[in-house]
Amino acid sequence: MRDLFCIFAILFCLLPQAVNAQATLLRAVISRTDTPQLWDDAIAEFEQQNPGVKVVKEIAPNSSTQFHDLLTQKLKNRDTRLDVFFMDVIWPSEFASAGWALPLDRFFSTTEQGKFLEAPIAANRYRGEIFGVPLFIDAGLLYYRKDLLEKHRMAPPRHWPELVDQAKTVLAAELDPHLVGYSGQFKQYEGLVCNMMEFILGNGGALWDEQRLVSAVQQERAKQAVRFVRDHIISEISSRGVLAYEEPESVALFAQGRAIFHRNWPYAWRVANDPEQSRVIGKVGMMPLPAFPGGKGASTLGGWQIGISRFSKIPEVAWRFVAFMTSHQMQKRIAFSTGRAPTRKALYTDPELLAQVPWLESMLETFKQAVPRPRTPVYAPLSNIMQRYFSAALALPGSKIDQRSALAARDMDRVLDLLRETAAP
Amino acid sequence: MKRSLALALSALVIALYCLLPFLWFVLTSLKTPAELAAIPPRLVPSLHWGFYQSALFDHGLARYIGNSLIVAGTATLISITVGSMAAYAISRFQLAWTRFYLLALLAISMFPQIAIAGPVWNILNHLDWLNTYHGLVTAYIALSLPLAIWILTTFFREVPVEIEEAALIDGCSRLQVLRKVVLPLAAPGILTAALLVFIHTWNEFFFALIIMTDPDIQTLPVGIALFPGEYTMPWGEIAAASTLATLPLIFLTLFFQRGIVRGLSAGAVKG
Amino acid sequence: MKSSHRLALLFIVPSLVFVSVFTLYPIVESFRLSFYRMILTLPWLGQKMVGWENYLDLWTDPVAWQALRTTLLFVAITVPSELLLGLGMALVMNEAFRGRGVLRAVVLIPWAIPTVVSSQMWRFIFNDRYGLFNFVLFGGDTARYFAPLADPRFAMLAIMAAEIWKTAPFAALIILAGLQTISDEVYEAASIDGATSWQKFYHVTLPLLWPALLLALLFRTIDALRVFDLVFVMTQGGPADATNVLQFYGYKKTFAEGMIGYGSTIAVTVFMISLILALAYLRALKSERLQGAAR
Repeated sequence: MRDLFCIFAILFCLLPQAVNAQATLLRAVISRTDTPQLWDDAIAEFEQQNPGVKVVKEIAPNSSTQFHDLLTQKLKNRDTRLDVFFMDVIWPSEFASAGWALPLDRFFSTTEQGKFLEAPIAANRYRGEIFGVPLFIDAGLLYYRKDLLEKHRMAPPRHWPELVDQAKTVLAAELDPHLVGYSGQFKQYEGLVCNMMEFILGNGGALWDEQRLVSAVQQERAKQAVRFVRDHIISEISSRGVLAYEEPESVALFAQGRAIFHRNWPYAWRVANDPEQSRVIGKVGMMPLPAFPGGKGASTLGGWQIGISRFSKIPEVAWRFVAFMTSHQMQKRIAFSTGRAPTRKALYTDPELLAQVPWLESMLETFKQAVPRPRTPVYAPLSNIMQRYFSAALALPGSKIDQRSALAARDMDRVLDLLRETAAP
Repeated sequence: MKRSLALALSALVIALYCLLPFLWFVLTSLKTPAELAAIPPRLVPSLHWGFYQSALFDHGLARYIGNSLIVAGTATLISITVGSMAAYAISRFQLAWTRFYLLALLAISMFPQIAIAGPVWNILNHLDWLNTYHGLVTAYIALSLPLAIWILTTFFREVPVEIEEAALIDGCSRLQVLRKVVLPLAAPGILTAALLVFIHTWNEFFFALIIMTDPDIQTLPVGIALFPGEYTMPWGEIAAASTLATLPLIFLTLFFQRGIVRGLSAGAVKG
Repeated sequence: MKSSHRLALLFIVPSLVFVSVFTLYPIVESFRLSFYRMILTLPWLGQKMVGWENYLDLWTDPVAWQALRTTLLFVAITVPSELLLGLGMALVMNEAFRGRGVLRAVVLIPWAIPTVVSSQMWRFIFNDRYGLFNFVLFGGDTARYFAPLADPRFAMLAIMAAEIWKTAPFAALIILAGLQTISDEVYEAASIDGATSWQKFYHVTLPLLWPALLLALLFRTIDALRVFDLVFVMTQGGPADATNVLQFYGYKKTFAEGMIGYGSTIAVTVFMISLILALAYLRALKSERLQGAAR
């Protein structure tokens, strides 16, 4: 009986391998998309061009934070059944340092890198090597209801306090119980750091001092910005609900016509003009984020890249996939269908693309000036500390921002201290 | 008269309490997408099976169920086998250290998973058993042994020693006594223990989450917890998947409820 | 060695091997790692022995203290609630009436449902657009719908409700088993003495039930201290860390941030707390047994 058992057990262990023996399986972890057809078609085309290769795609959770946790668990497990994965712009340093991502220099020459926008390329570099190829770029933008502003004879706001006043005016005049002034992403997750960084930088503050490797959230300008968000944006012109919003919920609110102003990545333009999802088609405007008086508007750099796992058994095949997905043609197609901004410079002067997605040209400057979040292998714990701080500061009325920011700074410094220790890199 | 009315009412309230939330979920799984998105929520669905189709075929639910069966089944078999041996020894040989072993097992079963998850992951990593059936099964055996041994010991204790001794005197070897006398008598208890261990390992989430990251061999709880979202959550599919995941357990439970209750309370009352 | 001893050893060894390698050794290893600093994303730093530093950090970590408070609050509210509810259910089920067997089977259903399924189910119930919770509270008045899981003030309550729903039936069964060991004669004797229902309950049922209750209390407390699945599926520790229980915090530190050493420290702490509580309960149980025997 026991022998039968062992045979049984062994068979089950071998079964998956037997199935795999036929084609070369390329396993890709990609993010959830609202245009699955685009990716399926692209994959089919790649398989056609590469006979004998079958792409197995796994869709990751929508939340960047959960995506990160799951992907890193696979990489820690040295999962050989993972070849290619999408990376949020903040992960390459961490993955490179931990030895999970394959250095791509032998595939991705510096000449080729030069064809891409600088900021995303910089985000993929770590200690002189490159670990990912940028797929599309994101930057925080402000969307607004053109029709409502025009109705009340207001020009789009250039400063945050102006935005708050405009929202209050419109809310008071419209008397619509379902309408809120502002919709953003304030849930305790990575997106919160993106949103808050824009306010802080717009006030002349910063998240960290890169040269001295210390935190900067405890400085006055940063604290002022946080206070402003708590006391004016959330308390006065928004609902408590935004404290639970990630991108999907916040854009749904705006697309349903229930928010005057909305902060989101470029993809929201597509959502706001999608007949199936939006009630405000043609009524939406888009512009760089405002600043505080005396400051300069800042946009958080976002975007996704593709990397190859160091434990992959088929790096050459994996590279072919990466090259295919980030090719000129593919990026153009992605931009056409999803409205996601490409990372190849040439596409920004492509007349065909610009005819379809005209705002790309005007937003190029914003993309070029987008500010990255701290690029460091310890970004994950840093982000968790900041998420915690921002979430508590915003969610708890009367929160003591001085104390909380000091604590956050202390914790961030302790993490950053780790980077000062040198052993052989 | 008043008493029986009060009793009936209380019984009804209890039944509703236990059933209503799950019933709501099951009803949700039978709605059409439009009915699902209705605000305020529609109470009665039309019998629409689309979500089940989607959950089974587009989201790989069948694969998850298969994996769970393999993992839980194998772990239960081995755990009960190994556990029965230990339980028999403990119940028959009343030695000082066997009692200590039993108490130690109780203490071990109280460890928070986080306390052992990291090193267990490390061990499996060194053995290259991550993302394998045998890796997770081995971890599950270790996790369920305390429960199994405790319950089995209780049941074995109820098999009268005299019967065994009579058989021994009649000339049977220990092994024969085990097979022909003890096991048949303890069979209901063993079945109960097997059921409890099966349900326990079927529902386990934490270790499955960190050990199985390849979706081809992930188990059901991980599949359901990580159900990939469209931009809005696919509640219909989740409800369908959850119903499918739970119905077998419910049937098992209803069928063996007497045994289960005995098993659960055996430890509590007699331990 | 006596042959029977040898046989006993032989039978116990397989289980001993599994348990030693996969539970005892990891516990010891957790203890060891808690004195080291090891960060997965900074592999060049290696494993550095830092003595009590991790524990000191934990002592001064406000997030950990809040996690401890959250966890203890969770235990303090859910365990008595489910025991009380369970007691009520058990008392009803103890009465002889038609369909009692069916009721008992029905009561097992919440227990049989996997925790992740239950978590998704409750997450859906608390949804601020399609959820049953809002519908029951506000009916068609959708403007007043809110998301309890998104509000730091209510998120914990929502999670506790989900937990109590699932575990009260389990407690009911344990208590029912205890109730059924109380023989009818004791009640009859009490009736003869002229006791009322309440007096019977207070002076007969409760004292005889106490050991079973205490044991149920012990098991449930240990389990409540380890709550994880609910938090992972329903809130991921948020909003604003309101549901960040200790085990989830440890998971984040160990597996999401790669801070293995510190994560081990948290793990050891949770374990020690469970151990202390378990010992306290066992002592109470033992003294209760002694007292019961004396009576």
